[in-house]
Amino acid sequence: MFFDYANVFVFALGGAVLVFGGMWLGSLIRPKREGEAGLEPYECGEKPIGSAWFRFDIRYYTVALVYLLFAVEIAFLFPWARVLKEALADDAIGGLALVEGVVFILVLAVGLAYVWRKGDLDWVRGISHTPDDPEEG
Amino acid sequence: MSRTDLTALSPLLVVALAAVAVLLLISVRRNHRATATLTLAGLVLGLVSISWAATVTPHQVAPLLIADGYALFYSALVLAAAVVVCLLSFDYLEQRGEQREEFYVLLLLATLGGLVLVGASHFVTLFLGLEILSVAIYVMVAYARSSPLAAETGIKYLVLAGASSAFLVFGMALVYAQTGTLEFRPLVAQLSAIEGSGLALPGMALMLVGVGFKLAVVPFHMWTPEVYQGAPAPVTAFVATVSKGAMFALLLRFFAALGPGEARPLLVVLGLVAMASILAGNLLALLEQNIKRLLAFSSIAHLGYVLVAFLASSAFGDEAVTFYLVAYFVSTLAAFGVVTVLSDNEREAERIEDYRGLFWRRPLLATLMTGALLSLAGIPLTTGFVGKFAVVAAGVEASLWLPVSVLALGSAIGLYYYLRLVVVMLSSLDAGAATESAADSGRTPADPGQTPAWPRAARVGGGAALALGLLALLLLGLGLYPGPLMDVIESSVSPLR
Repeated sequence: MFFDYANVFVFALGGAVLVFGGMWLGSLIRPKREGEAGLEPYECGEKPIGSAWFRFDIRYYTVALVYLLFAVEIAFLFPWARVLKEALADDAIGGLALVEGVVFILVLAVGLAYVWRKGDLDWVRGISHTPDDPEEG
Repeated sequence: MSRTDLTALSPLLVVALAAVAVLLLISVRRNHRATATLTLAGLVLGLVSISWAATVTPHQVAPLLIADGYALFYSALVLAAAVVVCLLSFDYLEQRGEQREEFYVLLLLATLGGLVLVGASHFVTLFLGLEILSVAIYVMVAYARSSPLAAETGIKYLVLAGASSAFLVFGMALVYAQTGTLEFRPLVAQLSAIEGSGLALPGMALMLVGVGFKLAVVPFHMWTPEVYQGAPAPVTAFVATVSKGAMFALLLRFFAALGPGEARPLLVVLGLVAMASILAGNLLALLEQNIKRLLAFSSIAHLGYVLVAFLASSAFGDEAVTFYLVAYFVSTLAAFGVVTVLSDNEREAERIEDYRGLFWRRPLLATLMTGALLSLAGIPLTTGFVGKFAVVAAGVEASLWLPVSVLALGSAIGLYYYLRLVVVMLSSLDAGAATESAADSGRTPADPGQTPAWPRAARVGGGAALALGLLALLLLGLGLYPGPLMDVIESSVSPLR
């Protein structure tokens, strides 16, 4: 049975060859131009301005989090919407498919209501440096 | 999903609904008392709904969850512990300023994770329950976010728990590769059908890493003292009880289904883990000066004791495990409950010196703390004694001589540090002042009646007092009269084997 583990090693070896072999092949065939531009951080073709070491606004994080939540919602809702009609026609599932989808959306809606009320969606609030309490929303 | 399914899942549904309702309440109106009350109502309703779910047991919901007597017993345990933590948290958070309300959403979610875990009959629900529990705990551990210690603790727990989850998932993948199923019962049947275990054995060994991390047994215990120390005291109580108890319930369910042939290699490993946990936990606790860290090391040892009964892999062993876990829940919650009510918003009452002469200042709290410590040490008349007795009996019955003798040795070492704490609480304040005089020479030796510098927390709030009174009752009640609980446990673990 221990011979089975040979598969694992072959698999690991294959993975290593694919990664490092690819890099090695790339180094063989790509042009080598050394200079200032090659050392700059890649910014989607834009010329970088200043250093990358500065503080990001913490609200990027909140917005990204909320965005992620709704991105995931779409990922779940799309397949649900796709099969909903067939599920409703099916006697075994029936209305439950609709109920479960609605429950899912409602739970996310409560989350949105919470974030909204908490004031995390108001981008402008922070710029004017108003001393308002985040708990007031 | 039929009506029966919904009935069987009612504790889970109630707690999930409570979490959403609390979040909604926070968005409508921020009020700490209302939030805590709603949370408590949700948890109590969850407890009540268990008796409703019990009318349809045993019931398998899809292949994912099972509601049998065993799952419901552990659900009740998890919910009861959550009720206690909720009561303790209210006064604790009341002293602290910012954003208290969200804590209750996290508490409900973590409880929900525990409920999913104890009812899991499929690897998917196992992982889902574990992650719901863990993700909520990540935030709870770092809840006092203004302190740098909280952030450090949160990051430590996040990274280590994430890594252990990765082990668990990879282990599941290997087991799946071998057996082609993720459901417990077919999986076990597959395992006994195939010749040689192939990838399944290393898979299950990897899964034990994830499980061992949650249980904080020896090779995976390093996070325990750090997290126990850095987390707010009620959260520590939650991590020490619910998170470990739910994981152990799952481990027991899985191993009880596993045949003796497949389980043996893993049981050998778990035997070593148990002995190492008992010795390391007790020895490391000997020199500890911080009471939260001391209880962390002691909890490592206690999980080792439970594993000894687990190794017996008999019906009596299952009962002993369950009773010991109940006793451990009660004693640990009582100990951390006292730490919680003594803490104030400046710092936690975590130094042993904070407890010097506590008997003369706060006699009731000191008595409860003594009871909890004696129960953890396994002294007769407390519930811990009955638990330890059952564990030893199960070990002897299965002729596990080596683990049982290590358990006896560990308990003897353990007595020292539990009793040391009791002695500190009994000793007069003068003695403390004499030894501490170098530290704060300005203080005159206080007579027992005088209020000391620490802890200052004036009074115990109603909720916390209720929780502590209940725990005191259980500590003594289950120690003197364990019969009824034993009967309940006996009938609830019977579906396992």
